[in-house]
Amino acid sequence: MSTNAISHDLLGAIGGVPRPDVDVVVDARDVNKWFGRLHVLKDVCLQVKRQEVVVIIGPSGSGKTTFIRCVNHLEKIQSGRIFVNGHLIGYREAGANKVVEDKEKNIARQRMEIGMVFQRFNLFPHMTALENIIEAPIQVRGMSRDEAVATGRALLERVGLAAKEKVYPNQLSGGQQQRIAIARALAMKPALMLFDEPTSALDPEMIGEVLEVMKELAREGMTMIVVSHEMGFAREVANRVVMMDDGVVVEEGTPDQVFSSPTQERTKTFLSKIL
Amino acid sequence: MANSIRAFGTRRATLAGFLLVLLFSLAACSSQSRGGAYHFQWDITFTSIFQPNGSIINGLWLTIGISIVAQLLGVGLGIIAALGRMSRVWPFRIVANFYIWFFRGTPLIVQLTFLFYGLLISKVLVWPSIEIGPFVIAAEVFAGTLILGINEGAYMAEIVRAGILAVDPGQTEAAKSLGMNYRQTMTRIVLPQAARVIIPPLGNEFNNMIKNTSLLYVLAVFELYTTFESYSTTSFHYFEYFVACCFWYLLLTTLWAFVQGWLERRFARGTLPTPDAGGPNLRERLLGQRGPGAGGADAIGGH
Repeated sequence: MSTNAISHDLLGAIGGVPRPDVDVVVDARDVNKWFGRLHVLKDVCLQVKRQEVVVIIGPSGSGKTTFIRCVNHLEKIQSGRIFVNGHLIGYREAGANKVVEDKEKNIARQRMEIGMVFQRFNLFPHMTALENIIEAPIQVRGMSRDEAVATGRALLERVGLAAKEKVYPNQLSGGQQQRIAIARALAMKPALMLFDEPTSALDPEMIGEVLEVMKELAREGMTMIVVSHEMGFAREVANRVVMMDDGVVVEEGTPDQVFSSPTQERTKTFLSKIL
Repeated sequence: MANSIRAFGTRRATLAGFLLVLLFSLAACSSQSRGGAYHFQWDITFTSIFQPNGSIINGLWLTIGISIVAQLLGVGLGIIAALGRMSRVWPFRIVANFYIWFFRGTPLIVQLTFLFYGLLISKVLVWPSIEIGPFVIAAEVFAGTLILGINEGAYMAEIVRAGILAVDPGQTEAAKSLGMNYRQTMTRIVLPQAARVIIPPLGNEFNNMIKNTSLLYVLAVFELYTTFESYSTTSFHYFEYFVACCFWYLLLTTLWAFVQGWLERRFARGTLPTPDAGGPNLRERLLGQRGPGAGGADAIGGH
């Protein structure tokens, strides 16, 4: 039983809560993005404080996934600024209030501090569970193989998958793959974790085990932005819920405010459909 | 099931034997029809296969060496050209596109003649011979290998590009989100996965490469074909010598088929439920892969 239970002290495996240098970990200001002529993000502003868990909800096509992808520059933005740990993400100032896209090397360095978990897991299929976890710490952080393996094993154990070390991803269930994907992101000791609908591609009986890991992370003080339809999760662990629709932040507040007494009509209709 | 597989193999062997006899009788008939029977000197064939002399052995090693070096060069150039074609930097795209366009668009024999004799005689490029320790690689061997490799790179470029495009874009995103740069993403994540898709067409390419080395005849490189050709012209025993020549080429291409099977299993890691089930096995490689339809047809035909 103990071999596949999710244990406490997840962050202990990576040496405690990674401390960002600043109080405001994410600061997005007036972000605008177009896909061709489609205006998908309209003056989006969002601040995430240290150790805060923000859950973004909203109908599909509302721009929530696009926004979270902008935070680690997997998507370009056309105007506005996103700061993570006080650093402008993906761009550098080029005078006269203009920015140009930053060098690939600098963007890669910024992404080291931002963990991301994808809807479709995106584990590397040609590597075993452990190899998936140790790859980036060795290649990117320059960690020694022994140290990376020790950290990797500790993480695997704490997400309840110590026995699956040598197993390739396609031999694992969706829930197991997603837990390994979370461990892979944590191995880089990120100051911020982004979750892009982490349970949407899972069979219902596997959602619980993934949410359990995420709840544990939240309890231990990881700073997180989560795009999710799991209202139970949002209610339990979110410090703040952000409702997006049509590229706009419609409403934000504590889970209680947003779920029990939403002020906006759009939020009420959305919640009435999913709750 | 085992029965039908055996029947499958036996039938193929029978067919091959029948065709061989037909071929021989045709050859015999046509020589007699011109009056004066042709006397096959089979000892030439047998000697060339079972007791090959130094020239044949030398030709064999040249063919093997040139094929491998040229193919490795082709794979390297193919990867560079494929990345060039997909680059965000337009000069890279232009250069890669021109390279692929030229070397796929002109015959190999034209490239060999033009780039060797053309450049040599006009003194644009005097091909050097290369000394590696005690070995000397003649200028025409060096040039021939290089040109074969450059030609191959143009074909490999498209194969590599197809392989890269076959890798889920989510893999690149995951690598980037972990802080990997372009080089790390390509060498550690994308290309190892693309390799699985690249290897079957690469097998075709190398098979072609083994045979295309025979075109180095135009540069007077005494590889397998040129060696047998020179024996044939002086003795006029084309038939006998070229049966042996076919044997040597078939031996090389058959051995390659085994190596390819091993490579396919090696790169199938993580794509199959059981780690060692990847790629065709020995029997499948020799008799062809059996789809669900083949078994049924055999069962009817074989019994």
